[in-house]
Amino acid sequence: MTSIDVRNLTKEYGTRRAVDDLTFTVSPGRVTGFLGPNGAGKSTTMRLVLGLDRPTSGTATVGGRPYGTLAEPLRHVGALLDADSAHGSRTARDHLRVLAASNRIAPRRVEEVLEETGIASVARRRVKTYSMGMRQRLGIAAALLGDPEVVMLDEPSNGLDPEGIVWLRALLRRLAAEGRTVLVSSHLMNETASFADHLVVLGRGSLLADLPMRDFIDARVRPRVRVRTPDATALKAALERHGHDAVEGDDGSWSVHHARVDDIGRALSDAGVPLLELSSDAGTLEQAYLDLTATEAEFSAPHQEA
Amino acid sequence: MYFAPVLRSEALKVLSLRSLCATLLAVLAATTAFSALAGVSDTSDPDFDPLFMALSGVTPGQIAAIAFGATAVSSEYQGNGIRLSLAAVPRRGRWFAAKLVAVAVPVFAVGLLSAFAALVAARAGLGAAADGLGVGEQARGVVGCALYLMLMALLASGLATLFRSGAATLATLIPFLLIVSFVIGDVAGGATDFLPDRAGQVVLHQTHDGLLGPWGGLAVTALWTAAALVAGAWRLRTRDA
Repeated sequence: MTSIDVRNLTKEYGTRRAVDDLTFTVSPGRVTGFLGPNGAGKSTTMRLVLGLDRPTSGTATVGGRPYGTLAEPLRHVGALLDADSAHGSRTARDHLRVLAASNRIAPRRVEEVLEETGIASVARRRVKTYSMGMRQRLGIAAALLGDPEVVMLDEPSNGLDPEGIVWLRALLRRLAAEGRTVLVSSHLMNETASFADHLVVLGRGSLLADLPMRDFIDARVRPRVRVRTPDATALKAALERHGHDAVEGDDGSWSVHHARVDDIGRALSDAGVPLLELSSDAGTLEQAYLDLTATEAEFSAPHQEA
Repeated sequence: MYFAPVLRSEALKVLSLRSLCATLLAVLAATTAFSALAGVSDTSDPDFDPLFMALSGVTPGQIAAIAFGATAVSSEYQGNGIRLSLAAVPRRGRWFAAKLVAVAVPVFAVGLLSAFAALVAARAGLGAAADGLGVGEQARGVVGCALYLMLMALLASGLATLFRSGAATLATLIPFLLIVSFVIGDVAGGATDFLPDRAGQVVLHQTHDGLLGPWGGLAVTALWTAAALVAGAWRLRTRDA
């Protein structure tokens, strides 16, 4: 079992605290989405895990060991930090060969990851001729090179085309299904919702949430029921009798807040309200996330002196 | 983690960048061509030193060697590639040592070849004026030239690690070599003999009159190089990548 363990991790740059007493665990066998606004400390945390930056205090370990003590670390941890880390004048194949050589990774792995990430046909071209999406794929290829049990990707969907996004989603799901530990940062909520099982949410360097994605959404977003009817008066009257209130949306549909679709359906049927549409509006990750950051802003807004 | 795979990786980095390979060729071309030109110049100067005349191409050649040493390191700092390199090899001291070997060995080898070619080319031009050169002196000149070029390349690598920039390194070293040492060196004397290039180039002369002998001079250059490397290693170890 190889998990990433972050314990009381703090990193200060001068007086600015980029990571503030962070504690969480990323477990194997699932995709953990790493969320937070720009500058929340996601990338810094990843660099601290990789031993690239030194923590001010606290520890970050992979499988119980600091990254720096791993012999041939690419065989244990694969990371994509920055799509621009390959030298523009090198070919993709040479870039991967250099990395493979340093960790005694078999040369055939270079060909395998080039195939897997779909850039084998351009592998002999210099990286500076690549589009952003191709560089991103090369970065992912480098992360997968050592067949690592821990995969850490910083904004991997940046610059990918729609096909690339679908491919990435399947790749992440597969890596988790194979029992690997997968940490993926993103600021795209719908994208994260499509692959993550678990969430770690940061705000200004601190931990805001660490829980399964479903729980996160259910705890944050009030369920709603969406109704479309030709008889708005009957709808409002029927809802009022059951203590519900309906709000009209832009498209002529009505939303009933704090309600479950089972109750509303039964009530409207009993009242004989004609229905064109009745659906449950489950919360999205985006709604839950915005709700969290809104409350957070409320708590952390500076107090003004009267 | 072993040293050999890291060294192999660093050697592959040099070989897979065309610009670095071209810079090594430039060391050979500049040293040989300028020495050959010097070979057909006027030899009536009272300070005429046939060995240095034959190896004078080292002055432009060292610029290419410095560019090689600086670029080998600064290519790591393009687009934060250093993070990927240090994630692959977290022992930074080991990584830096491998990098320096990957700089030193090719420059020394190309330096030997260049100095030998320069000597042959220049002697063809100098003719009888170079007849006083002994075999030992010429061998010392060739080996010394290769060592000197290697030390200057490593000096540049050390500074590039310290500045994390190839441009800053070249902007420091090249004016220093072309102007400061060249101009002040001839005016002053004494202390300037201990500048890295002037000290190291004593080995390229048939005769020497300063405080430093051929090997003493190279030792002084080596001290400068060591200082730059220690400063670079310190920056690499202590700073966040």
